[in-house]
Amino acid sequence: MSRPAQVSFTRLEEIAGGAHVITDAAEIAVREVCGKRPAVIVSPADAHQISEVLRFAVAEKLAVIPTGGCTKLGIGSPPARYDIALDLSRMNRVLAYDPHDLTLGVEPGVRIEDLLRTLAEKKQFLPLAVPFSDRATIGGIVAANSSSPLRHAYGAVRDFCLGMEFVTGEGTQAKSGGRVVKNVTGYDLHKLLIGSLGTLAVITRVNFRTFPMPQAQGTFVASFSSAEAAFDFCRAVSHSVLTLQMVEVANPGAAALIFSGEISARIEPRTWTVVLSAAGQPAVVDRHERELSRLAGAADAEEFLPLTDAEAYSVHAQIREFPKLMMERAPAAAIFRVSAVTGVMATLLGKLRVLAVQHDLDFVSLGRASGIFHVAFLPQKEISAPPQSLPRVIAEVFRTCGQPEMHASAMLEWCPTEIKTSADIVWGPPRPDFELMRRVKHSFDPQNVLAPGRFAGGI
Amino acid sequence: MQPQLIRELEALLGPKAVLSAPEDLMLYEYDGSVELGSPRCIVFPASARDVAGIVRLANRYETPIVGRGAGTGLSGGAIARNGGIVVAFSRMNRVLEIDAANLRAVVQPGVVNLDLSRAVEHLGLYFAPDPSSQKSCTIGGNVSENSGGPHTLAYGVTANHVTGLELVLPDGEIVRIGGRSIETSGYDLCGLLVGSEGTLALVTEITVRLMRKPEAVKTLLAVYDTLDDTTESVVEITVRAITPAACEMLDGFTLRAVEDYVHAGFPKDCAAVLLIEVEGLKEAVEAQAAEITEVCRQHRAREVRAARNDQERNLLWRGRKEAFGAMGRISPMYYVQDGVIPRTRLPETLRRIEEISRKYDLQIGNIFHAGDGNLHPLILFDERDRAQFARVVAAGGEIMRHCVEVGGALTGEHGIGMEKNELMPLIFTPDDLALMERVRAAFNPAGRLNPGKVLPMGKACGEIRVPPTPASAAIPT
Repeated sequence: MSRPAQVSFTRLEEIAGGAHVITDAAEIAVREVCGKRPAVIVSPADAHQISEVLRFAVAEKLAVIPTGGCTKLGIGSPPARYDIALDLSRMNRVLAYDPHDLTLGVEPGVRIEDLLRTLAEKKQFLPLAVPFSDRATIGGIVAANSSSPLRHAYGAVRDFCLGMEFVTGEGTQAKSGGRVVKNVTGYDLHKLLIGSLGTLAVITRVNFRTFPMPQAQGTFVASFSSAEAAFDFCRAVSHSVLTLQMVEVANPGAAALIFSGEISARIEPRTWTVVLSAAGQPAVVDRHERELSRLAGAADAEEFLPLTDAEAYSVHAQIREFPKLMMERAPAAAIFRVSAVTGVMATLLGKLRVLAVQHDLDFVSLGRASGIFHVAFLPQKEISAPPQSLPRVIAEVFRTCGQPEMHASAMLEWCPTEIKTSADIVWGPPRPDFELMRRVKHSFDPQNVLAPGRFAGGI
Repeated sequence: MQPQLIRELEALLGPKAVLSAPEDLMLYEYDGSVELGSPRCIVFPASARDVAGIVRLANRYETPIVGRGAGTGLSGGAIARNGGIVVAFSRMNRVLEIDAANLRAVVQPGVVNLDLSRAVEHLGLYFAPDPSSQKSCTIGGNVSENSGGPHTLAYGVTANHVTGLELVLPDGEIVRIGGRSIETSGYDLCGLLVGSEGTLALVTEITVRLMRKPEAVKTLLAVYDTLDDTTESVVEITVRAITPAACEMLDGFTLRAVEDYVHAGFPKDCAAVLLIEVEGLKEAVEAQAAEITEVCRQHRAREVRAARNDQERNLLWRGRKEAFGAMGRISPMYYVQDGVIPRTRLPETLRRIEEISRKYDLQIGNIFHAGDGNLHPLILFDERDRAQFARVVAAGGEIMRHCVEVGGALTGEHGIGMEKNELMPLIFTPDDLALMERVRAAFNPAGRLNPGKVLPMGKACGEIRVPPTPASAAIPT
């Protein structure tokens, strides 16, 4: 249990100013993490104030969870303690943007939507097509390592993040990496922070490389009668000379969610669909259309459709928002983030689908053909309580992914709070490398102040 | 060293896998840098179990351990600074698995970089990181140093191409981190380990991504009469957001030395050349090459020509990759820098290097990865002239300081090692460094693994350490 009565707000008010220390019940509720609510919300203005808040937390033995747009607080295992929500939304400045050098430095509270708009003015972008895009902030996207379909061409945050500044659990301001596009100076500590869910440090600045917007873009949909055919097509594409921006594979359930209006009428229901994007000079996009059409034909595609710009815009948005769409459709769903090599994806998804059928659950999967999927188990009827079988299904998913030939890794990204009775439910059974992670945690946050219990192995 | 330890190592690995005679040890005193250090013995493990056994023995005898690949490193990473055991991975040189369907390979650390690309060439695949030493450097070394290469510009450094590692920790435990899939849940330990310069663990197996060879490649040579026009062209290419696969620059001094040796076709009377490569679909390559040619012409390139065939292309690249070696023909020794700057600061930085060259009365050749702002000024010297060598070290420090002042970094791909560890305070605060020390201690608590590397040893902030008298002409391949 939290200990609201024991938190002294006076010191926090001295640090951040009275207006930035809040106990409003509605605001507190927004920052709930797995059923736990903080006693107070502090909104620091800068790294120095964060450092002071954390030193206070260390002295008072309080637990702190950094928050931004509050869109992904449900990810991770339930925190053991939670006293202070450290709201970073005031730290929302673009600190440095050099479009000529294609580099950028931002505070964690910058919303991705605003940032992409700023970059678009210079015909540049960050390849972060991530869910909750109207509210998600850079800090949260980095801390949750949100998956973007553009990873296919541009890599993940770890590949285009140049460095970070942060405050450790002891309140020490530190940094790693830098602001230049190539750098091996010192340990890449910032890579540890990506996906760490705020358990190691509070991010105060992130430096990225930016990318030029392509001249033209084309989006295509190919549909197949089976998962095997869809993945065979993906493999043929990845072994071709084509240079795609995005290759997404949707099972029939996912296709029903991402295609709407006229497109859905053009695509046969019950098929597996592959959505691909090509970008570059118009001649490059045309070439992709020709070659993809040929490859789709060779892979016995049921359909191969180029999308109009309006259709493409809608499909891209639905793919980007997929985890959010799932949660809206069924709050009682269990949504995994699964990664595996392309070659076993059809088999792995097949096994997981059988598991869903055995337990009378719907099965929806959408993901990057390069090997990162969202896999959702949903109750067939609209019910608010999670299905009784869910814990068994969850354990079974980890067991299946743990089979050596799958080379897979899974994490339960979203599920009803009442299901999350332990860290293993979310992160899977203990692995040998968890001990190394524990030691890393101890170097950043020896007093266990930052989001204790939220990470793998109960870290 | 305790003869008993040597006997135990021989019992563990067999007598042929342990070297301890002085004449053998001499061969392992140096690497591609100007540093020196004498190990007490060299061991050649054949498996992770061997490595774990070595580590346990080293612990019992409280002896330092240093991993070593081909010894081509340029910052002293493989040098036994405090003596001890050098673990040479040359026997662990097998490609364990080629998983072409999933674009992965599993290799032992001693596999030579280019050998992996050759092993998958028939499948139309290759391993992207391409350091100039790729004919001899090992993938284990690439992992330690997070090596780059000319094509880093488009494809990223080693860290972007490693998905899994098997480690032997300093306590002898064998652990796997990451895996074959593109990501693994939990902290990104692979991201930390790649580039940790052998100070956190010994790497005994590596899973890497393989890339598909592009359909088309076009290599352009742009020839200039002034350095400013050359560097302004690079800035303009970056500003226009054209993304070549590689964009290399050689100044007149360097290319003349190379031309005499390689006969790559560089005009010897020019101020500098850019070697620019574009790759991808043929439509994209043609469009990009046209745009780059236009930029170079606008910046008064005397000539822009494309390699007409593979032979011409390979010759141009030989001119680039063997440039360091060519320096050995005109100078007994050189000191290579590895600073990084924001790409837009290239013109002023080259002017600054010219000033430094005049100030210290030293010949400095410039050859570098212009497209990502990674400089390799080569300061030439004769190691017998101690006064000159002191100027070399001072000039190197001044170049480094300039890089830091314009917002850059100390090393883009060669690593910190024992060459630049005392310069770390130019970039990092005591708090930054203390955290790095704690992370190191989390893996390597007794500091037995590769001591004296990456982090500063003393408290003398910003002081430049004068390296020992250099061994012999260090010629990185």
